[in-house]
Amino acid sequence: MGDLLQINHIRKSFGGLEVLTDLNLSVRKSQVLSIIGPSGSGKSTLLRCATLLEKMDGGDLIYDGLYAARDVNGRSEYAPPETIREVRNMFGLVFQNFNLFPHYSVLKNVMEAPMLVQKRAKSEVKKEALDLLEQMGLRDKADAYPCQLSGGQQQRVSIARALAMNPKILFFDEPTSALDPELTGEILKVIRGLAEKKMTMVIVTHEMAFARDVSDYVVFMDGGVIVEEGDPREVIDRPTKERTIQFLRRMREQ
Amino acid sequence: MKKLFCLVLALALSLTALSALADTLVMGIDPEYPPFSYMDDSGEYTGFDVEVCKAVCDLLGYDFKIFAVDWDNKLIQLDNMECDLIWSGMTILDSMKEAGYVISAPYYDNTQVLVVKKDSGIASSADLAGKYVAVQLGTSGEALLNGDLQDLTATFGQLVTCQSFLICFTELDGGAVDAVFVDLPVARNFAAGRDDLMILDESLGAEQYGIAFRSGDAELCAKVESAVQELVANGTYAEIAAKYPDIVNNLLFLNAD
Amino acid sequence: MTLETMIIKMGEGFGKTCAIFFLTLLFSLPLGMLVALLRMSKNRAVSGITRLVISVLRGTPLMLQLLAVTYGPFYLFGLKVARNKLIPVVIAFAINYAAYFAEIYRGGIESMPVGQYEAAEVLGYSKVQTFMRIILPQVVKRILPSVTNEVVTLVKDTSMAFTVAYQEMFTIGKQIANSQSSFVPFLVAGAFYYVFNLVVDFVMGRAEKAMNYYR
Repeated sequence: MGDLLQINHIRKSFGGLEVLTDLNLSVRKSQVLSIIGPSGSGKSTLLRCATLLEKMDGGDLIYDGLYAARDVNGRSEYAPPETIREVRNMFGLVFQNFNLFPHYSVLKNVMEAPMLVQKRAKSEVKKEALDLLEQMGLRDKADAYPCQLSGGQQQRVSIARALAMNPKILFFDEPTSALDPELTGEILKVIRGLAEKKMTMVIVTHEMAFARDVSDYVVFMDGGVIVEEGDPREVIDRPTKERTIQFLRRMREQ
Repeated sequence: MKKLFCLVLALALSLTALSALADTLVMGIDPEYPPFSYMDDSGEYTGFDVEVCKAVCDLLGYDFKIFAVDWDNKLIQLDNMECDLIWSGMTILDSMKEAGYVISAPYYDNTQVLVVKKDSGIASSADLAGKYVAVQLGTSGEALLNGDLQDLTATFGQLVTCQSFLICFTELDGGAVDAVFVDLPVARNFAAGRDDLMILDESLGAEQYGIAFRSGDAELCAKVESAVQELVANGTYAEIAAKYPDIVNNLLFLNAD
Repeated sequence: MTLETMIIKMGEGFGKTCAIFFLTLLFSLPLGMLVALLRMSKNRAVSGITRLVISVLRGTPLMLQLLAVTYGPFYLFGLKVARNKLIPVVIAFAINYAAYFAEIYRGGIESMPVGQYEAAEVLGYSKVQTFMRIILPQVVKRILPSVTNEVVTLVKDTSMAFTVAYQEMFTIGKQIANSQSSFVPFLVAGAFYYVFNLVVDFVMGRAEKAMNYYR
């Protein structure tokens, strides 16, 4: 135990096609875990199941000892709404396409959920939100609207929005895929900064350098299973499994 | 020789037929104005005016066509050449003559009457104070109520202008109005076989029906008028009129003496 | 009759035209949202029936619906026909326009990217909060041009109330036109409608501008 997130024997299929096959994953506190793999490997589905955007067919989903879903005779049974709400409060998610609320200013994007969902006082939330924007280097953009920002700036706002909820664990779904290559650096910098502050993070990415530099554990997925996992330098620089070797070679060729 | 004569005759006949084909008379009617012009059960336009006009066309060798006008805009449509004349129980108004339209001699003398429910307690126009009275828009009844009978109209609770006389009578049946002000023949037609309705004896404003032509069509008007007189003389007119007993008493050419 | 008297007389009817216009919007705009939500219901019976009702309302002439609402109860159940025609007229208009608005709303709601729902869900917004705070404001911006179209059409459609003997502005115009054998009342009526729609355009344009602060 002591794991912040534990996923046991997860199964998920879409229309008869099995996308995740009896997969296990656990994330320790302060760990930065990257999930890599080819498209269609099931890594995004795994992330969506973990963040409750998708329901698993079978398996357990446990956050800090709290069961969001429990496997009963091979079927996932989800906890009642109150528990789910509690679980949701434990994690944040940064989307590939940011999904900022375009009709809200940057500040309101960051402030609304803590006030509305966590019922926290406005003054306190505002102070924290401005601090977060400061950290993201966006203090001067507080009153701007998302459409006035660059992709990298928008992604930083969405990280601030997720952090404003004080999550125990933060998920990233391909956070740099929608960005121009020269902008990935700023996101990388932010994530590295969060790692230094011992933020627990799970990052789905296809940026190998990114995964190697920032994470302390890497998982290579293919065909709905984990093929290889371990220290990023080991897995990425000296892979042992044939499928991992092929994948990494293809990535380098691109 | 005989053969040649036949050929020439046939040629001459077909030529006449062709020239007749070119001369079409389009009759503008209100398709909802029985018994003058309406659609019969088989979907054909008929009515007193339609039959007479058809007979006139036969006599003059015109090709006969019917155009259903929008009654509110009948004169505009006449001007737009959508029809050549308006002949459909049309009341002759001074304003038409002032506007330059050629109007035939009147052929029908109409009166406006009130139709009420028998149990309404309304016996004359004097009882209409504060009551709702329906009239069809664009009819002579409406013109009367907004013109010569303005003082009477002022006593009404409301004058309800309706799109068609069917709506007028539905309003009466449904209790939304207390009386319908309408042409006598229409009233007779509608109240026939209705025990709960009655036509008040009081007639409010006599008026006459005629045929309207575009300004400049005086020649056509004269042609049509003389054709009608021919129909009166040969008895066809009376034959047609006999099919419409409701109006026969008001036809001027049959009751001239 | 002078032009001035004409305008005054038709102006009296214009009040009745405005009554149809504003009451129809007042009832049909929210009713349309209800219908749109029923139409998008996961319950197949509910969405199926709503879909049928919408198709009938959009597939039959408004004039027929006016007649049905005004005289239907009398012909079917012998109920009295209303003397104040504003009631059946507004009912018929509101129902008809709600069907059109419902489809506009539905189009707007369904055009929203799923990411907006997911972002709100992950942040812990309830379904109602997500709809009211995140989805609806953006939908309003998206559908405003289509709504403006319908509102402009409504201004002109008010003249149809004459079908059931409601004495609105255009009816009075026709009366004057008949009694005077003149086209001028039609021109006056056209001017009334045009000016009304200029105002509608102005108001809706301001509303669209007010929402232009984001894309």
